[in-house]
Amino acid sequence: MRAKVIGFLLAAAVAASAAFLLLRDRGKISPMARITRDGVVLEEIALDQVEEPRRFTLEDGRGRNTIEVERGRIRVAEADCPDQVCVRRGWSGDGTTPIVCLPHKLMIEIVGEEGGLDGGAG
Amino acid sequence: MRKRLLCVLLAALCLLTACQKAPEPVEFSTFSMNTFMSFAFYGEGETENQRVQDRVNVTLRRLDSLFCVNNEYGDVNQINRSEGRRVKVDAPTAEVLSRSLELCELTGGALDITAYPAVKAWGFTQEEHRVPSPGELAELAGKIDYTAVGLEGEWVTLPAGMELDLGAVAKGYAGDQLDQIMRDAGISSALLNLGESTIVAVGGKQDGSPWRIGVVDPARPESYFAVVELEDMAMGTSGGYQRYFEQDGVTYWHILDPETAAPARSGLASVTVAAPSALTCDGLSTALFVMGLEDGTQFWRDHRELEFEAVFVTEEGEIYRTAGLTGRFSLAEGYEDREVTVLE
Repeated sequence: MRAKVIGFLLAAAVAASAAFLLLRDRGKISPMARITRDGVVLEEIALDQVEEPRRFTLEDGRGRNTIEVERGRIRVAEADCPDQVCVRRGWSGDGTTPIVCLPHKLMIEIVGEEGGLDGGAG
Repeated sequence: MRKRLLCVLLAALCLLTACQKAPEPVEFSTFSMNTFMSFAFYGEGETENQRVQDRVNVTLRRLDSLFCVNNEYGDVNQINRSEGRRVKVDAPTAEVLSRSLELCELTGGALDITAYPAVKAWGFTQEEHRVPSPGELAELAGKIDYTAVGLEGEWVTLPAGMELDLGAVAKGYAGDQLDQIMRDAGISSALLNLGESTIVAVGGKQDGSPWRIGVVDPARPESYFAVVELEDMAMGTSGGYQRYFEQDGVTYWHILDPETAAPARSGLASVTVAAPSALTCDGLSTALFVMGLEDGTQFWRDHRELEFEAVFVTEEGEIYRTAGLTGRFSLAEGYEDREVTVLE
């Protein structure tokens, strides 16, 4: 009787872990916007959990970048860098090419999203 | 019997959790050559991985300082200030010059590494843009001539008034060097992204499938119009959308035609080149952009020895690709209905 119970519990454990592992594999990892300056992480934002659109400004000796976040996407709305490449890049919601502000060494990459691509060229 | 059942169940449990752990790539990134670069590779162990990562960073720093036009201790800067005197350069500088001069010659000067005075005049170096007058452009175009570069071993001569700019080839050269570092370390799977315009795939992915790389739509640089599969292959893209400015309703981009010293207007919006050598990709994507679709296609037909394939996008948004990409090229999601002309 006792062995049966143990067997049953073990079987349940196997089934549960199998289900957990399978479901975890299929479930999509939530896309995360990771903002770094010179490789140092400043902020991480779970893009699919953004309730209200918001803006914030990141500033250091090099200059300012105003970031805008909405559900599922992020962009640099304004910046005082000379080339404005980061602003022109527009919204990003997928993880293949990061938004980069070279003059300010600022980068926004989307991690954890499975876009089916390993990289981007252009 | 019970014990056996227990054992089987326990073994199954262990197996389920054990097979879960797939190898993780080593990922790191750096700012170099005026761009953001990111790398991923599958290595053998922590010490060895760190060694590879250090070698990549050291190599990039060295090449950046040699090739950067603004570093007064760098070779390129010293050549540009030489006023016609002979300059002794380091081996990588001699090599990148020799290989790019070959490409300049092969492309009939569509690629020219002596365009720096014109790049400066347009303000693309300091991002203080201006449109030079026609007279100024004619004078600048007269100073662009790769045949005037003298290279003997590690000695370089450049006539006074002329200046080198390795912007179109430096990242490609660096890509080939990093590729070699990976191979020397026995790494068979890596993706080296030298600022998106230059990508090097070492082997395929860990599971044996090729790396899938998106190609930016020049009309909408935030999305990809195509996917190219790469395995032991590099890829480079040149497009007017990468760096440009607008004045009085006209767009001026950074890819200059050596003939006119003005932005190259060949009807193309971007050119992507895939080849075993990243330097070839980098240099040719610029050259083909300057040549235009027709001459570029002819160049591809005439130079099979360079083993390159190309994707052209015109300013009207038409897509052309060379026949050798069959099986490795597909349209991206949302672009499936676009027509692609295959060049034979």
